Amino acid sequence: MNSDTPKQRLQHRQVEEQTAEQQQTTGQQAGLAFDSVEELLRYDNLQTTPPPAIAERLKISLEQEPKPKRPWWQRLFAGRASE
Amino acid sequence: MPAPVKYDDPVAAPELTTPPPAAPADGSWQSLYEQNSRYVYYLALRTVGDPALAEDITHDVFLKAYRHLDQFRGQSGLRTWLYRITINHCQNVQRAWQRRNIISTVDPQALDAVAANTDSPLRVLEIKELGQRIQKTLEALPDEYRLLLLLVADENLSYQEIASLTEQSSDAVRGKLHRARRAFVLEFQKNS
Repeated sequence: MNSDTPKQRLQHRQVEEQTAEQQQTTGQQAGLAFDSVEELLRYDNLQTTPPPAIAERLKISLEQEPKPKRPWWQRLFAGRASE
Repeated sequence: MPAPVKYDDPVAAPELTTPPPAAPADGSWQSLYEQNSRYVYYLALRTVGDPALAEDITHDVFLKAYRHLDQFRGQSGLRTWLYRITINHCQNVQRAWQRRNIISTVDPQALDAVAANTDSPLRVLEIKELGQRIQKTLEALPDEYRLLLLLVADENLSYQEIASLTEQSSDAVRGKLHRARRAFVLEFQKNS
């Protein structure tokens, strides 16, 4: 049974919140270490998301485009399939 | 100083000799975009250093790829082909920008001459500002070093493909990459 008073419960919660905050800060301060430039750049790439606006713009642009010609190998195989 | 890398017409450039591509069938443009846009955007962003410009370049690259899909001969990977278009487009944008602005050039030999501790890991404390620090570091490098580092960071690209994209031999790529890594570490440590 929990015999804590509301005041004690509030204090417990404040302590827990402070601890969580401190742990988060410590994690940020510890930072990261990368063994190579490539590893660092790969990490940077993963943190870099293309803005969704590009996909929207591209969709509009593609709607205005005529249908592209098929690549040569698709035309070739389509021709063979019909023979 | 390394010779400037020249890229002509992106879609007419000679194709590579790598395995068959994962070509988009009609209607799969969304998956093509989803699979490759992160890489195209990242290369553009770190090459030109401007998010708005990188956004325009990414849009234009995919539009150009759509228009010229029939010229894609399938001798290279599709991403390699997209990279080629991206590199050319970035260079056109940079050339136009350089015509209007004076740019200080970095002498790679000066960078090579300075000892950099490339064995120790690259430590980062402020994750929040990591992107800016990487950008600043890349901007301090010669264009060729920057491009090689960005391409080699994509694990899907072989040395042979990077060599073809940058129009040089694989051995030259290896040698320059070694110097590029050293130069990057040196600049990165300076910016800490």
